[in-house]
Amino acid sequence: MSRKFPKAADYGLAVCPTCAMVSPVTEGRCPRCGTHLHLRKPASIQTTVALMLAAAALYVPSHLLPVMTTMELGVVTHNTIIKGMMTFWNTGAYPIAIVIFTASILIPLLKIGALTWLCLAATGKVHPSPTALGRLFWLTELLGRWSMVDIFVVGILVSLVQLGNYMSITPGPGALAFAGVVMLTIFAAMSFDPRLLWDRLDEMTDDPAPETPTETET
Amino acid sequence: MKRGFTKHLLARESWPEPPGGPRKAACHFCDTLHDGGPVAECTAARCARCGGVLYQNRPASLARATAFSMAALFLMVLVHTYPFLTMDAASLRRNLTLIGSATALIDESEPLLGISIILFTMVAPLVLAGGMIYVCLPLMAGRAAPGARTVAKWMYRSEPWNMVEVFLLGVLVSLLKLAKVADVHFGVGFWAFSGVMIFMAAAVAGIDREELWDRLEVAHT
Repeated sequence: MSRKFPKAADYGLAVCPTCAMVSPVTEGRCPRCGTHLHLRKPASIQTTVALMLAAAALYVPSHLLPVMTTMELGVVTHNTIIKGMMTFWNTGAYPIAIVIFTASILIPLLKIGALTWLCLAATGKVHPSPTALGRLFWLTELLGRWSMVDIFVVGILVSLVQLGNYMSITPGPGALAFAGVVMLTIFAAMSFDPRLLWDRLDEMTDDPAPETPTETET
Repeated sequence: MKRGFTKHLLARESWPEPPGGPRKAACHFCDTLHDGGPVAECTAARCARCGGVLYQNRPASLARATAFSMAALFLMVLVHTYPFLTMDAASLRRNLTLIGSATALIDESEPLLGISIILFTMVAPLVLAGGMIYVCLPLMAGRAAPGARTVAKWMYRSEPWNMVEVFLLGVLVSLLKLAKVADVHFGVGFWAFSGVMIFMAAAVAGIDREELWDRLEVAHT
């Protein structure tokens, strides 16, 4: 009895995450580059869920606390991310308002939602449908980095707008919280193992692993 | 000597066979095991089950990776020399530099944010471009530089943290934010950093990860 598509893990083979060489997992470390070998990322779901919950918890203060504080002619204004976006929208700068909305509000939420869905699918709570969800996973890894744009904007504005009493900008506590959200979601996506979706699909469609590992030579 | 060097520079030796013949390849997304054989130049081997790319054979891979990395490294010098933005407001002129945006946050008691800017926009691109040159340039002559495998490992680890393009978007957003309160101009640094973004992408796409590692294996140390 054998699968239509044989898996490396069925033969005790692990693919190196750094150099992509396939070697027996019993080697411990990749003989080519020395990276630790695992058949699947260890504790993938648990790590992803933990990091994702931490990110979700930080998401609230990151939007409630000011990311920067502007002092203009003695008048102090606290700016949250949403307030900054609304300013652009109200002055008619729609494209840039949409960019900020996507990068700082939508992408972190989508990422948390997508990772929840992926973890549910990988544990069999919902149908795995790995082709579609694999694309979703690829998209979350691709988009996550763009949320850092807000942190870079804070750095640029704080550095540039130091005009003494006329106008100055200082970073607020929201910036650190938001950077935390972005970093945690990036690490959460990195710790998720998309191969678990295919494992779950094979279990569901009764395509069991071969009874005894066969020879790998062809 | 000169002839030998030109020979290496123009060498378009194809992807060498790794010791022990073609190896098994496994898909990163679905773990399907394949017999990894050579593929023709400009084509990719795809997973039979999920369609994900297993590896691809790039033409003139070493020359491209090295050349684009060198261009990126040269532009990085300009990035650190010239300002990104120049702002005139209230009879004051302020210049924005890459390191300035990081040190401003460190000075304003947000050291973690400042350090993350340094890591994502300065250290990661430098490790990527520098590592690529260190590994690929000697490989053109069929040699592996000392410690090339460790460098290659760190190079690929730094790749997801390279956020040059995100910083450029940040510059554009800041420019629009400031446009109504001050007179803001682009500087040479901004254009140089745009070049870094393009050349880094070209260098990483220039050589397949598996090809680089196979070449490292057959190279003389």
